[in-house]
Amino acid sequence: MILELDQLTHRYGDELAVDDVSFGLDEGELVAVLGPSGCGKTTLVQAIAGHVQPTAGRVVLRDRDVTGEPPEDRHVGIVFQQSTLYPHMTVNENVAYGLAARGIEPTQRDKRVREYLELVALSEKRDAHPSELSGGQRRRVEVARALAPQPDVLLLDEPLSALDRQLRERLRDEIARIQAETGVTTLFVTHDQEEAMALADRLIVMNDGRVSGSGAPRVLYESPPTPFVASFLGRSNTFPATVVSQFPPVLRVGDRTFSLPSGTITASEGTAVTCHVRPDRLSVSDPDATDTGSALSLPGEVVSIADVGRRYDVRIQAETGSQFVVETMERPPVSGEAVTVELPRDRITIFESATHDSRESTPRSDTEKYDD
Amino acid sequence: MSLTKIVPSQKSNRLPELLVPALLGALLLVYFAIPFVAFLARSGPANVVAGLSSPEAQRAIHNSLITAPISTLIAAVFGIPLAYVLARTSFVGKRFVEALVILPLVVPPVVGGAMILTAVGRFTPIGSAVATLGISLTDSLIGVVLAQTFVAAPFVIITARAGFGAIDERLEQASRSLGYGPLSTFWNVSLPLARGAIVAGIILTFARAIGEFGATMMVAYNPRTMPTRIWVDFIAGGIDSIVPLALALLGITLAVLAAVQRFGRVPTVIDQ
Repeated sequence: MILELDQLTHRYGDELAVDDVSFGLDEGELVAVLGPSGCGKTTLVQAIAGHVQPTAGRVVLRDRDVTGEPPEDRHVGIVFQQSTLYPHMTVNENVAYGLAARGIEPTQRDKRVREYLELVALSEKRDAHPSELSGGQRRRVEVARALAPQPDVLLLDEPLSALDRQLRERLRDEIARIQAETGVTTLFVTHDQEEAMALADRLIVMNDGRVSGSGAPRVLYESPPTPFVASFLGRSNTFPATVVSQFPPVLRVGDRTFSLPSGTITASEGTAVTCHVRPDRLSVSDPDATDTGSALSLPGEVVSIADVGRRYDVRIQAETGSQFVVETMERPPVSGEAVTVELPRDRITIFESATHDSRESTPRSDTEKYDD
Repeated sequence: MSLTKIVPSQKSNRLPELLVPALLGALLLVYFAIPFVAFLARSGPANVVAGLSSPEAQRAIHNSLITAPISTLIAAVFGIPLAYVLARTSFVGKRFVEALVILPLVVPPVVGGAMILTAVGRFTPIGSAVATLGISLTDSLIGVVLAQTFVAAPFVIITARAGFGAIDERLEQASRSLGYGPLSTFWNVSLPLARGAIVAGIILTFARAIGEFGATMMVAYNPRTMPTRIWVDFIAGGIDSIVPLALALLGITLAVLAAVQRFGRVPTVIDQ
């Protein structure tokens, strides 16, 4: 393992910014830490780089505990949200800056600078000053500067968040290419889930200083381990229900009962639960359509329709009291029309209502607790 | 409704936006300029040269040109690191330290001079201890330097602190992560990036030091610097007798300002 965080905790005064976070990065992995602003992800980056001394826990780089070591002894490359290129140095000098500190010979340095400027396709700008570069070029030089000393880990702290959308997407692909070409172990921190999902081999979703879920993007999206992941990663419809029976799993929604695939309910009989289902999994059908058996059918009324270009977002008020958003490509019904929302039984994720606070719900260990 | 009413009425009595502040500022500028012009109008070039060639004037220029750069150097060498610490950290008692930095600015220079006397005067423990080594902290060039440093050093501290404060801390963090320790990061990144503010602070400190009168008069009335010489001449011979030295003092300050701005590549002192 290249990087390992072991029960990392950091407080600013009374405020707990990072709370008992542990995870590791394997050689060559690109892992994204995803979370809303203020969830502690920047503190995490700062602790890995050594700019923040964590209150508790360990940072291990290449099997060496570096928790107490200053940043200059860590061999971690870092790119921040704002440009940190040195305005008093040329592009060439900026990229060479980190090489001089690592005791690389001047001739070797030159070669390395050329190599990395080529990597980010900015060879022709080597004599320019940062102020002469565009925002995107500055980002690329910064990546080159961070990579040139060939660090153990590259930390990217919201590197694209200050850019406009088009540039952001272009640079995202660029980062993916550079990472693939160099094979550098990368931790990419962002609040943008699309960015995280598009780039990362693995996602670590953080909320309120804690890891709320981690895994491959698709797995996290399809079967979120916590309510926070369900609502933060992509859009989600939530509705309340009650467990009628655990074996076989039966759920009551409003005045209707539905059976679910076995193993989907871990809460005991009579428990109030919150169900999550993705808007793109739902469909709208005629009000008098017969129950197909594969989906949970809830009657309701269309409240509003938003045409977002690629699809329609249909908002439906169900008779049970919950509202659902359905993403559909087909021509939607009109506002006020009575319809049925179809919820596929195998696409519903169920959490105990009491565990709304993600702090108390660690992914799977809940199972044992509630089975007692 | 009301919106349509407001728009035309605003348009009709619309003045150039900066008219009022410009007028107020202009009044002050006129007040700056009038004494300056009046003073210059009093002197012919011939008596300036004559006035400056007297041995007393030569001595005073010599003393000022030795002491003011030394005071400025001391203020910079000790003040810039202090400015950096104040810009980068918070600690218990920081307010107190900041108040201490401001103190020489608020204390009238004459009083400051008196305070220095009570600390290092001939009959104080420090003054007498140093006197046994044959060094006098008062009525000597060292005394002049002590007075100038006390009064002038806050300028470089305050200006440099603002300069360091304006640097995004992440530029320094990036340098650390690129393999540089705190000292080389300060040297390679913080210092060059705060250069403009530091140079401005040094100019202000130098100008204040070479023009220092109140504290210097208390601590070292002798040997004479240019300001104390000007005072002595004024008492003896009135305004006309001080014109040569006053112009020389002004000339030196302006020359330093121009030189530092040129080599420091700083557009203006104030525009930092």
